[in-house]
Amino acid sequence: MTVLGKGAAGTGKWVDDRLGSSNFIRRSLNKVFPDHWSFMLGEIALYSFIILLLTGTYLTLFFDASMHEVVYNGSYIPLKGVTMSQAYASTLNISFDVRGGLLMRQIHHWAALLFLASITVHLMRVFFTGAFRKPRELNWVIGTLLLITGILEGFAGYSLPDDLLSGTGLRIAASITESIPVIGTWASILLFGGEFPGTSIVGRLYAIHILLIPGLILALITFHLMMIWYQKHTDFPGPRRTEHNVVGSRMYPVYAAKAGGFFFLVFAVLALLGGLAQINPIWLYGPYDPSQVSAGSQPDWYMGFLDGSTRLMPNWEIHAFSHTIPINVILPTVVLPGILFNLLGAWPWIEARLTKDHDYHNLLDRPRDKPRRTAIGAMGISFYVMLLIAGGNDIIASIFSISVQTITHTLRVAIFVVPPLVYWATKRFCLGLQRADDELVHHGIESGTIRRLPSGEFVEETVGLPVPYQITLTGVEPSERPALHAGEPPEGPGYGDKQVVEVHGNGGPVVHEVRRPRGFFRDKTISRKEPLRPEATMPPLEGTGKPRAK
Amino acid sequence: MSETPDGKSIRDRLRAPADTGAANSGGDSRGSDVTDASFQQTDSRAELASHGRDERQHSAPSAPVAHAIQEPRKADLSEAEARSAERKVAALFVLSFLGVIGFVVTFFVAPFKFTERDNIYFTPLLALFMTLALAGIGAGAVLWAKTLMVDEEAVQERHGFASEIEERDATGQALVQGFEQTGLARRSLLRNTLLLGAGSLALLPLPLLLDLGPYAHKEDRFRTTAWKKGVRLVRRNGTPIRIGDLALGSLETAYPDVPGGVQMADTPTMLIRMRPEELKPRKGREDWSVDGHIAYSVICTHLGCPVKLYEQQTHHLFCPCHQSTFDASNGAKVLFGPAARNLPQLPIYVDDEGYFVAKSDYTEPVGPSFWERKS
Repeated sequence: MTVLGKGAAGTGKWVDDRLGSSNFIRRSLNKVFPDHWSFMLGEIALYSFIILLLTGTYLTLFFDASMHEVVYNGSYIPLKGVTMSQAYASTLNISFDVRGGLLMRQIHHWAALLFLASITVHLMRVFFTGAFRKPRELNWVIGTLLLITGILEGFAGYSLPDDLLSGTGLRIAASITESIPVIGTWASILLFGGEFPGTSIVGRLYAIHILLIPGLILALITFHLMMIWYQKHTDFPGPRRTEHNVVGSRMYPVYAAKAGGFFFLVFAVLALLGGLAQINPIWLYGPYDPSQVSAGSQPDWYMGFLDGSTRLMPNWEIHAFSHTIPINVILPTVVLPGILFNLLGAWPWIEARLTKDHDYHNLLDRPRDKPRRTAIGAMGISFYVMLLIAGGNDIIASIFSISVQTITHTLRVAIFVVPPLVYWATKRFCLGLQRADDELVHHGIESGTIRRLPSGEFVEETVGLPVPYQITLTGVEPSERPALHAGEPPEGPGYGDKQVVEVHGNGGPVVHEVRRPRGFFRDKTISRKEPLRPEATMPPLEGTGKPRAK
Repeated sequence: MSETPDGKSIRDRLRAPADTGAANSGGDSRGSDVTDASFQQTDSRAELASHGRDERQHSAPSAPVAHAIQEPRKADLSEAEARSAERKVAALFVLSFLGVIGFVVTFFVAPFKFTERDNIYFTPLLALFMTLALAGIGAGAVLWAKTLMVDEEAVQERHGFASEIEERDATGQALVQGFEQTGLARRSLLRNTLLLGAGSLALLPLPLLLDLGPYAHKEDRFRTTAWKKGVRLVRRNGTPIRIGDLALGSLETAYPDVPGGVQMADTPTMLIRMRPEELKPRKGREDWSVDGHIAYSVICTHLGCPVKLYEQQTHHLFCPCHQSTFDASNGAKVLFGPAARNLPQLPIYVDDEGYFVAKSDYTEPVGPSFWERKS
């Protein structure tokens, strides 16, 4: 035994004597993780959060969250002698007088953008593949909460420097708070410690930004990961993959090496962005002044959809019984996100109700196989994107020389018209893709050879698809596809019924569960479970078909 | 050297598949030859097969069954390729080291002060070396895993989640029994006083939170500003604005001449000068402006951003936050956008010395709407 081995054994014995951890550790090391590029989106979010903690801790060493007024005397000459808050001055200090401070600040900001971007894309992946279904509904809810807390955390963070842009954002936040019926003015005064802007808000946001919300996010991430660990990761259908197993590489050593390496790669990209791509140059904006604003003020991207909904909203306001209810503010900034996030969090239950599907699901859907879910997702994305566009309507107007009014009027209509169109188009796309798959599975790959039959008929010769790829497309072994007559419409028992069918290849009849989707998912074409058409006479291609990650 | 779980190098096994014969019937199958039959066979590695707490439902062992490589990689087939791969990984690790050296040298040597020459290269250079340092390790580790570590396809059985019915019943009973043992169901005095005591605990933090802000006279804070009769309109630097200071078609931001007047969020006012005949004053406000000079609140009635983009020809005032547009020549009426109310107008006159002075405070609350606002 080597020295290293002896040392490890000694440590292992010491720990095991006290915790009996060997079994747990060995099972953990051997835990299998499936491999697919889309499973790394959540990892990017996790790594961004770690990078946020690292860079954020560094920034706290230099940032002073005080609104106490000082006269700037740092090395950034254009602002020398200007009266500003201590928060703004210390942010300038980080940017100009702390070596590497600007790099850390910019990495921190880029990491925040990436954190929310990767959460969003990860959410889409989970949605479109149906990974939220039983037993993973709770983790979907935790993910939704992470998205919401992440947005709040980001807003609190970029409001800290007390520059002109962030101050404008806070002014809007204060106004939105005031607009809430009954409690609005109270809430605003309590939040800001008096009339806006007051002298408390930066300090309070600081406590929220570096302690309260990060603690919450950390706890939620812990639950998220514990649940993934315990329930095991979902996987796409493919060769050897069933509802009852996980196929991939074990955590130790391969997965750990890849995931660890990926962390450093994400960090490297953020470092590059932080050094080369300027972000939030607060020294160009100047300190906050309630009477100043710059044209083209834009929030960070994840707040953009709320800015957009606010810009699109008509100017409705209710005055009644000596009270004012500003619909033009509450509806787009409070009610709309409330509805959106509630719908999002409740989706697993909404879908289960529509499909009446209460089974366990460990194998993922291909988005095309669930046209309606995919169409609803695409519809939601189109709605969100239109709000984002509306949020940047002034920028778009100046770049493309269109009047901002035209954009706003168009979007006010489009936000109701486009999503249904997107729903319809996406559904058609999915069905078309299914038929293309059908064609591949049943007809095979065109070989380019035309054969003349003795009868004189010409037939095109096709080559069967590689078996593993067939499994990826259909979700079952070719031999398990029920022997229906080619071209015959699938008749017979309904969804979930058991039926005895003849099976190609291995002899005797087997009981095959006929999954004939009804209701919400009725658009899945069942003919994909049919055998190859007779003309596909040549044997399937050799090889695994699906390229494996190397 | 990449090791398979059974301790032999993959290369050995590929060279002499016969050697691995019976002992590794499952583990050795690879490429397109992997069939269901070989897949089902358990791995020879008995040491892996643990019967942990994982499998309550399935009888199959939860330890993964590792399969050897599917399609051998270059490094699996030749020692030279493996060494080449090792050298690539090593080069990346060395790159990482060089990145750290570059980072440290840049940190201490390169000019970074705003006043120094070439300081703009400091942050990009630092970032480039940091990127090298991080990417070297990252890419190296991934390449190492992909080319040299075992190329396996491990299969692990999932375990069920739901407990046995008996288990659930027993847990439910334990809960019910425990509750019965507390006596809460029978002893109503105990239960009610507990609810009273514990429930009222929720009220404890409320007074603490109420002191977050000065809530006395809170409504006045929203209704009134520092403007009042006789207060001069001054510029940001404190100099008063005299009639004739403004060119035709220009706009000046004015603040009340009171202590701290420049920093308040509700007092900023814009003084606009246009030709008197262009001005269409609202009823009862004919004497609120002076010779084409008119004063409006800067604070948008939508969400409080400063409405300061003034279009001279059309007299439009534009808010850059949400594009509410107001007509300065016509009582700052809303023309477009989400704002529901006109900008409040500040009544002004010119005092004996020729300076602009407010006639009174704004006659309506300035800025965004709130619940207690009456109109």
